[in-house]
Amino acid sequence: MGLKAIYQEYQRPILGSASVLGLILIWELVLTFLIPLNPFFFTKPSLIAVAFKEQVIYGALWGDLAVSSRAFLWGFSFAVLLGIPLGAFMGWRRRAEYTLDPFFTALYASPLVALAPLIIVVFGVGLLAKSVLVFALSIFPFIFNTFAGVRSTDRLLINVVRSFGGGEKDLYFKVIFPSTLPYIVAGARIALGRGLVGIIVGEFYAASEGIGFAISRFGDTYRLPEMFAGILVLMIAAVVLTEGMRKLETVLAPWRTTQETR
Amino acid sequence: MNRLASFYIEKEHYILGGGFILLLIVLWESMPHVLTIPRGLSLFFTTPSRVIDACYQLIVENQIQDHFYVSSIEFLAGLGLAVAVGLPVGLITGRSRILDAMIDPFITVFNATPRLIFLPLFILWFGIGIWSKIMIVFVGAVFPLLINTYEGVKNVDRVLVNVVRAFGANEWQTMKIVVLPNSVPYIVAGLRLAIGRAILGVVVGEFFGASKGLGFMIATAATNYKVDVVFVGVAIFMGLSLVLTMAVKKIESNLARWRPEEAKTF
Repeated sequence: MGLKAIYQEYQRPILGSASVLGLILIWELVLTFLIPLNPFFFTKPSLIAVAFKEQVIYGALWGDLAVSSRAFLWGFSFAVLLGIPLGAFMGWRRRAEYTLDPFFTALYASPLVALAPLIIVVFGVGLLAKSVLVFALSIFPFIFNTFAGVRSTDRLLINVVRSFGGGEKDLYFKVIFPSTLPYIVAGARIALGRGLVGIIVGEFYAASEGIGFAISRFGDTYRLPEMFAGILVLMIAAVVLTEGMRKLETVLAPWRTTQETR
Repeated sequence: MNRLASFYIEKEHYILGGGFILLLIVLWESMPHVLTIPRGLSLFFTTPSRVIDACYQLIVENQIQDHFYVSSIEFLAGLGLAVAVGLPVGLITGRSRILDAMIDPFITVFNATPRLIFLPLFILWFGIGIWSKIMIVFVGAVFPLLINTYEGVKNVDRVLVNVVRAFGANEWQTMKIVVLPNSVPYIVAGLRLAIGRAILGVVVGEFFGASKGLGFMIATAATNYKVDVVFVGVAIFMGLSLVLTMAVKKIESNLARWRPEEAKTF
């Protein structure tokens, strides 16, 4: 009876981990006993684990990861530094919104990745081109989410600060910034995904180091276990970053977590 | 004068927005007339008029149609496959608690990861032809569709489900009468996101190991310093995604008048 109660309590995590483990097990067993493995076409979990250990624990992939993160951080930081003020400006001044909104909307909706080859040709292979690509892709969520945040600031709170004699500065730091922050973090989560796309495309296209380059090189040389290990590393990084942002969102704005369970 | 002013105030939104874009284009066009562009930079420089010229040339010389055709096939096939898989899986996981719990970790992980990372793998598996691109479009577009369908099913009104059940409907009838109509707005929102991901997949997929398609055209033009051709390709992608996104948005706002919350944007 106790076992059943535990199952009822933790049904979701139990079923979830069971399905992941089951899939890995089936993958391993099928390729070990049923179908002979063609190493140029597929691989199995045990080989991936060996490659993962080699690449991650003994360090070969860390250098690539560092290169990629540097480009990512540069582009992302500039997106934050420019995107938030632009969004705040658009939210605070009606004419600024009218002027800038259609232009940014058009850019946000269009696949700017299509400019990647040109950016790489202009800025050269390396840190700068990748950072520019990350910046161009990840600035828009910051602009639009900051804009939405400033827009949704409670008018009443603004009026209260004004009635009690608060200046522009008090307005910004006591009311607008705190109420916009959750929106910015939500934007950062979207920007994260887009920034990762920028890094990957930049490194697939032309690079000599970096995690995306490592994955495509392993693919070109048919080293499938290493390639899967690289993909796994990137997946772990992406999940940790995304879920971290989500946690931050709930910490900063607990009242906004209505029904978002994923 | 008064009428002009009132006209301006009424249409200020459009005048400022359109005016700004127009101003940028004019500035871009007049740049070489005002400034002398250094030799090194002029290699990468083009003007809107030259882009339009290049576009006209490409159409007249029948060079762009083939690329366009290949890209559209990849887009449509990948997106169609994503709808065919994402919709049923989303419906089922939304209705079954056990399947939901089992599939959840996979969806969380794959949704957080940019699926473009599988491109080298798909090229290895499906070759450099059209199939690797269709697959990359598919994995890009399937998750927004799946997750939004799931949300739609989850947010269905319990009372309505119970009413239909009480009158003796089985699972299939419940699905048809209550769940599916209720999820349509969510599905359309998912479709809008999926279109963006699909176009991304087409563009990036064609950058690598392709011999046809608009992405391939952009990539080769960039390496040959034909900047105006690059912009022709970029403009086509921009136009297509704007038109498609706006069209779906229009459908969305017609369908979802009553739905207060905005679509989930991931």
